[in-house]
Amino acid sequence: MGTFRASDRLAAEELFHACYPRLAGWIRRLVDDDDTAHEIASEAFTRLLARWSSLDNPQSYLYMIATNLIRDHWRRLGRERRALRAVSATIPAEAVHHPAQDVDVRALIQSLPDRLRQPFLLHYYAGFPVRDVAEMLGRPEGTVKADLHHARARLRAVLGEAHG
Amino acid sequence: MDEPRDDIDTWLEERVTPLLPRPGTFEQVRKRARRRKLVQATMAVAGAALVAAGAIAVPRLVLPKHVGGAPLAQASSTTPAQQNSPTPRSPSPSASSGPDTASATARPTTVPVVPPNFAASSVTFVSRSTGWVIGQAGTPGHCGPPKAYICTSMAATSNAGHTWYGMPAPVTGAPNGDTGVSQVRSLNGVHGWAYGPQLWATHNGSRTWQRIATDGMRVTGLETVNGVAFAIWARCAGTGADFAADCTSFSLYSSPASQNDWTPVAGVTGLTASGGVPASAQLVLTGIRGYLLAPGGQLFSGPVTIRARWHLVTSAALPCAPGAAEVGGHPLRAMLASTGQGLALLCAGPGSGGTQDKTLYYSPDGGRTWNRAGSAPAQGIAMSFSGSPNGPVMVATNDGIDVSTSAPGSGTLSWRTVRGAGARGGYSYVGMTTAQQGVAVPANTGLDAVWFTYDGGSHWRKSPVS
Repeated sequence: MGTFRASDRLAAEELFHACYPRLAGWIRRLVDDDDTAHEIASEAFTRLLARWSSLDNPQSYLYMIATNLIRDHWRRLGRERRALRAVSATIPAEAVHHPAQDVDVRALIQSLPDRLRQPFLLHYYAGFPVRDVAEMLGRPEGTVKADLHHARARLRAVLGEAHG
Repeated sequence: MDEPRDDIDTWLEERVTPLLPRPGTFEQVRKRARRRKLVQATMAVAGAALVAAGAIAVPRLVLPKHVGGAPLAQASSTTPAQQNSPTPRSPSPSASSGPDTASATARPTTVPVVPPNFAASSVTFVSRSTGWVIGQAGTPGHCGPPKAYICTSMAATSNAGHTWYGMPAPVTGAPNGDTGVSQVRSLNGVHGWAYGPQLWATHNGSRTWQRIATDGMRVTGLETVNGVAFAIWARCAGTGADFAADCTSFSLYSSPASQNDWTPVAGVTGLTASGGVPASAQLVLTGIRGYLLAPGGQLFSGPVTIRARWHLVTSAALPCAPGAAEVGGHPLRAMLASTGQGLALLCAGPGSGGTQDKTLYYSPDGGRTWNRAGSAPAQGIAMSFSGSPNGPVMVATNDGIDVSTSAPGSGTLSWRTVRGAGARGGYSYVGMTTAQQGVAVPANTGLDAVWFTYDGGSHWRKSPVS
C-alpha cells in the first residue's frame, strides 16, 4: 500500500523523463525563473503520481496542473508586490528587470481572466489541439474557439495600446 | 483560426527550451506522491470505517503510446555511460528540500558527486544557468565503473557554476590519436555531443551515450543550433593527445539534433589547404546562418538547416588562413567569431617572447567584405576568440583574457585586459552565453575549475568543478 508496483514505477519514470524537460521549459518561459519552473514541474508530477489511478492522457493532465500552479504563482507574486507597495508607499516602485524578451506578452497573458488564459496557454503555447483543450476543460469546442478568439483580441488590443 | 500575424505569433512561435530535471528529482517526486497517497488513504479510511484496507488499489498509470518530450534511450542500442562518480552525497542543508509542500524547491535528495581532480577540457552552456563540462577526473586505474582505466568524466551545473554535480560520460578515454573525446556541446540539455576526435551523442540529457561511426575521420569541431548539429570531420594523422595535428582534408557534416543521422553538407566536403599541407578549420553558427572557415582561408556559408547546400561566400581568400590546430582542434592563426551584428576575424601572427601580433578584421555583410578593425593587445599567445551578442569580442591567451570595450566596426577599439584572472597559464577557451555571462576554460587543466564572468568580462570568478 502506498508504493508503486515495479511496472508502475517504470512507466512513471519513463513518463517523467519523456515529459519533464519540455514541461519545465514551458513553465520557465512563463515564470522566467529556473527554480520556480522546477518547483512547479515537480509539484505537477507529484500530483499526477499521487492522485490519479487511470489516465488516458497524462501529458495533458500535467499541463493542466501546471497551468493552475502557474496561475497560483502569479497571484502570489501579485499579492507580495501589493503588500510591498503597501508597506513602502512612500518609496517609488523600482522597475523590475526582466531579461526575457517575452516579458511584455507574458505579463499580458498573466492579466487575462482564467476562463480565457487556460485555453490560450494550452492551445497556443503547449500545442494541444482545440479538441483536446475542449476535453481537458470540459467545454464545447465552439466555446474554446470563441475563448481563444477573445483572448487574442484582448491581447492584441492591449499590445496596440502599449505600443502607442 | 485565421488571425492576422502580430507580436503574439512571434512570441508563441519561439521554441521552448527544455529544462532538464535536477538529479534525484524523480525520486523526490515519487516519495512525495507516496506520502500524499498515504495521507489520502488514511483520510478515506477514517471517513468510511467499513472500507477494508485491502480494497484500496494502488494507482495505475496508463501511458499513451507517445507522450512527447525527449526521446528515451534504447538500452539495446546504447552504450552504458561512464559513471565516474559512484557515490551519491547528501545535499547541503541549505539545498535540502523542505516538507511536502507546493512551495518546496525541487532539490535532489541525493546528488551524484563530481569525481576528484576534475581536469576540465571543454564546457557548454544551454542557458544562463545550465551547463555541462567534460574532462578527465580521478586516478587512471581507479575510475569507472564500468571501466577502471577510463577516466573521461562529465559534470553539470544548474545554477550558473555555483555548484556542480556528476553525470554519466561517454565510455572512452582522453584523446589519443583517433580515440577518445575532449570537447562537449549541447543543444538544450537533452541532446548533446562529446567529440574530438571520436563522436558520441546523447539524446536523454547525458544519461546514456552512443558512439557515432565517422568512417575513420576525426571530429575537430561541432556546433549546434535550431535543432541541427554541424560537425567538422577531418582526415588526420596526429598521434597522442594532438589528435587534430596533421589533418589534410576537411568535410562538414550535419544531423538533426534528435537523431544520429550524419550526412555530408553539399558544397563543403573534401576541403584542403593550399599544397595539401596540414591545417585546420573552424565552424561558427548564428541563429540563421553557418560559416565555415576552410583550411585554405576561404569562407563558406549556408543556412543552418538539414540538407542545405553551402556556398563560397567570396572567391577572395580571407586576410589570413587557419593554419595548424591547437590541441583541442581549433585554429591558431585565424579565428572567426560572430558578434551579433557581423563577423569578426582575428589574425594571429607568429608568437615571440610571449607576445604576438593580433590583427582584427570585421565584416558587416556576412563575410563578403572585410575591413581592418584594429589590433588586440600583443601580450599573450591567442588560444580562443569569441564574440558577444551585443558586439564586443574576447581573446583568450596564455596570459589572460582581453575584452574589447566596444564592438569591432564601431570605431577605434579599446581593450580591457584581465591578466591571469586567477588562472596561471591562461585560457584555452572563452565564450559568452549572454552579453553579460561567459565562461572560460583554463589552459592548465590541473586547476580543476572553470571561470565565469557575470559582468561582460570585466571580472572573472573561479568555479571549482567539484
